[in-house]
Amino acid sequence: MRPLPLWLKSGRVQTGLVIIFILGICAIFAPYLAPNDPNEQNLLAILTPPAWADGGDLMFPLGTDSLGRCVLSRLIFGARVALTVAFTASVGAMIIGATLAHIAGYFGGWIDWLIGRVVEIWLSFPPVILSLILMVGLGTGLRNVVVAIILVDWTRFCRVLRSEVIVLRRRDYVSAAQLVGFSHWRTITREILPGTLPLLITLMSLEMGVAVIVEAILSFVGMSVGSETPAWGQMIADARQNIYEAPFNLIAPILAIFFAVFGFNILGDGLRRTLDTRLTQTERT
Amino acid sequence: MANPSPSGPILSAQNLCVESLGGKERFPVLTDLNFTLEPGKILGLVGESGAGKSMIGRTISQFLPHGFAVTKGTLKFDGEDLVGMGADRRRDLLGRDIAFIPQEPLSGLNPVLSVGQQMKEHLLRIGLQPGESWKLRALKEFEAVHLPHGAALLDKYPHQLSGGMCQRILIAMAFASRPRLLIADEPTTALDVTIQARIIKLIGEMQRRDGTAVIFITHDLRLASQISDEIMVLYAGRPAERGPAKQLFSDPAHPYTRCLQLANPNISGPRRGLFILPERMPGLRVLKELKGCRFASRCPNVMEACTQTEPPLADIGPNHIAACIRTEKTPDIVPPPLAPGREIASANIHFNGERLTKAYTTAWSPFASRSSFKAVNSVDFTLGEGEFVGIVGESGSGKSSLARLVVGLDTPTDGKITLAGRDVTANRNADKAFRRDYIQMVFQDPQSALNPRRRIGSIVTQANEATGLLNSHRERMVRAAELLKEIGLPPDAAMRFPSQLSGGQKQRVNIARALCTLPKILVADEIVSGLDVSVQAQLLDLLLKLRDEHGFSMLFISHDLSVVRYLCDRVMVMYRGEVVESGRTEAVFSKPQHDYTRSLLAAVPPDDVNSEWSPVLAEAGYQVE
Ligand SMILES: Nc1ncnc2c1ncn2[C@@H]1O[C@H](COP(=O)(O)OP(=O)(O)O)[C@@H](O)[C@H]1O
Ligand code: SF4
Ligand SMILES: [Mg+2]
Repeated sequence: MRPLPLWLKSGRVQTGLVIIFILGICAIFAPYLAPNDPNEQNLLAILTPPAWADGGDLMFPLGTDSLGRCVLSRLIFGARVALTVAFTASVGAMIIGATLAHIAGYFGGWIDWLIGRVVEIWLSFPPVILSLILMVGLGTGLRNVVVAIILVDWTRFCRVLRSEVIVLRRRDYVSAAQLVGFSHWRTITREILPGTLPLLITLMSLEMGVAVIVEAILSFVGMSVGSETPAWGQMIADARQNIYEAPFNLIAPILAIFFAVFGFNILGDGLRRTLDTRLTQTERT
Repeated sequence: MANPSPSGPILSAQNLCVESLGGKERFPVLTDLNFTLEPGKILGLVGESGAGKSMIGRTISQFLPHGFAVTKGTLKFDGEDLVGMGADRRRDLLGRDIAFIPQEPLSGLNPVLSVGQQMKEHLLRIGLQPGESWKLRALKEFEAVHLPHGAALLDKYPHQLSGGMCQRILIAMAFASRPRLLIADEPTTALDVTIQARIIKLIGEMQRRDGTAVIFITHDLRLASQISDEIMVLYAGRPAERGPAKQLFSDPAHPYTRCLQLANPNISGPRRGLFILPERMPGLRVLKELKGCRFASRCPNVMEACTQTEPPLADIGPNHIAACIRTEKTPDIVPPPLAPGREIASANIHFNGERLTKAYTTAWSPFASRSSFKAVNSVDFTLGEGEFVGIVGESGSGKSSLARLVVGLDTPTDGKITLAGRDVTANRNADKAFRRDYIQMVFQDPQSALNPRRRIGSIVTQANEATGLLNSHRERMVRAAELLKEIGLPPDAAMRFPSQLSGGQKQRVNIARALCTLPKILVADEIVSGLDVSVQAQLLDLLLKLRDEHGFSMLFISHDLSVVRYLCDRVMVMYRGEVVESGRTEAVFSKPQHDYTRSLLAAVPPDDVNSEWSPVLAEAGYQVE
């Protein structure tokens, strides 16, 4: 029986994984978990308070919104949008950023120079402005949200990973691999990538948190999914008008976003701590 | 600030015992430590790594790792009890009355602070004369350690300086407070011979100036015998022998001392074989169960009685003690005869390099013009079949750059390389494929040369992975087992990761990887530097044995001249990218022609303790720094 790997023993990583697991279950099994159809308008039960408050209805555990839609059901379905964006956008940004980082760090010379300048120029735009401009250009829709996040955030991966690749590239074992005849592709994938992987995974989980927030902002301003798909940002926007009558309609999606971002960040932070120390332990002893 | 108490020892230890209490089991790390150190004297601490040398330094500074504690005996600094002393008093002493020079110069300096900031902080802590500015004082201290351009140095950061310069700065700091005790933990292990000689000379000079007592920790017995007044040889946490330096070296009483001495190749007189100390020092946890002599498992003189009780540290002469019950047999330990059959048929030329030149340029940018610097300058050399050629020179002289050209990791900017009659200078893909079956490299730093995430079995058969031969896992494991057997590692090592091996074992793996496809030429870059002499002897022996079996030739780079003398048939001396002298090893070492070769040779501590070590020539115009 192999002992648990160090990173799995970290409380932070465990907390993060549990949160993401809960969100994942909600997203996948939303139709079975949600008590109501999230889009069904029940005009006889508008702005019902949560079940535990006066006048609450057990039919709607977290109450209803101004169109009489079940808040809990919308929250559960909203996890689908949030997680879809989180996973696809961070994987996309990772693939572009990591590929360019490995190419730049490994080959160096003018390739590195070129990629470095592109990243610099990219980073000189404030990210929120850049994503809004992109959304205006691309048009609304879930796919475009993902594309916008990828286009804005790949630089984050590229910059951090590039310096790590440069460190690893100077290791003699990389020279040794070239000497025994490894191709560039093989050297990068077999010798360098395993070394950058811990950092890459950490960055990815932090990026997922960022993606959840960006999606919430964009759906808040109505640039993400259409009104037929429930999303947390949209719920915040909808709840604004009735903020005094039904404050809980606003609080619930904010808490959901907070919960998800907290999960991704604490996972990323835990991974950074444990994977990094493992790295230094094996390399310094 | 000079010695307030001229009488009495500066440091004395009585029956000192340090134990590890934390963790599951309790075991001793240092046992039976008895010594006294008079003001102005130098005590050399010698032993293999893990013997507990650094632990003594850490005990004195009361800077023990977590879970370690002094459990018995006393340790007194100038009559004051160091162990029971309050934290304030200790902080007061450390860095002022007791100074340290660490092994890694870079680890002793803070990388994010400039030299000036660190010097200022240190000088303010130890206190300045009234009205004295820290800057002037810093410059004065730099001058004392012969650091030129002190003012410019203050703005520099440690990574901008060479190892030798960082070490000088640390020495300046250590002596700035006129300490009464200096602990130097392998201060020259990371440096090459000429710089080592200068640093040692400097420490001696400063030590005489202030009458400082010094504890000099090293794994080089020959070096210790040159500079110390008294030597203590440690084995597995217990003194094996302690005595006056010259006597201990010329007439060692403990077999361990004798073996260490014979494991180091000699630099003068006829070449002799190396004594190979088998295996490794037993771990401290194992020792707890051991009844008899702790050296018994490796001792050539062991007999039944040795394994019954631990031999006491008995007097064998004035101020000379040894923990051995058969000291009279120690002189019988002799080195094995030199391996025979060193006739080299160098008619068959494997490698031919003509006017090899490599200019390195600064990083690419379309705007700045790139400056270049010739790391290797017009070097000619050949390697015959089965021939071992050594390259010596101090760091920065271009040895590693030449090695990279030879194996094809870099392409020369000028010159021609012929491998077995084929011109491979351009280093195109076809050339590379030809080259890799022919020539392989063993890298310097086993830490960086082995991918920490691969298992040993996969590392040593990496060449098969690239060529596509022996692709199945089972075939590779069979080959890995063969290779591991050849380099003397147990077969179960194949499943381990590099971090689970010792330094010497890692270097064996490094050699096995290069041997995997049985190349005709090996290029070995400083592969024994920084290893214990016992491990070094094992590796040198292994290389000679492997040559007998496979008949490869080797380009062996080292800054240790005695190792090159032992191993190589021919030698080339490099200085600033050029070969200044080359020839048969014996000839070059016995009748050096070039001044630089002479200065290199003079920097090596002599075999005979009674002959004066005067690395003066090292200063004669051949300065790298
Ligand atoms: N921080 C530490 N934690 C646990 N064990 C240690 C530590 N430092 C040293 N040791 C152990 O103490 C013993 C003596 O080590 P050391 O004094 O560093 O030897 P040397 O300086 O002679 O190489 C070794 O067995 C080593 O493994
Ligand atoms: S006591 Fe015996 S085993 Fe120990 S060093 Fe002496 S001869 Fe060797
Ligand atoms: Mg040490």
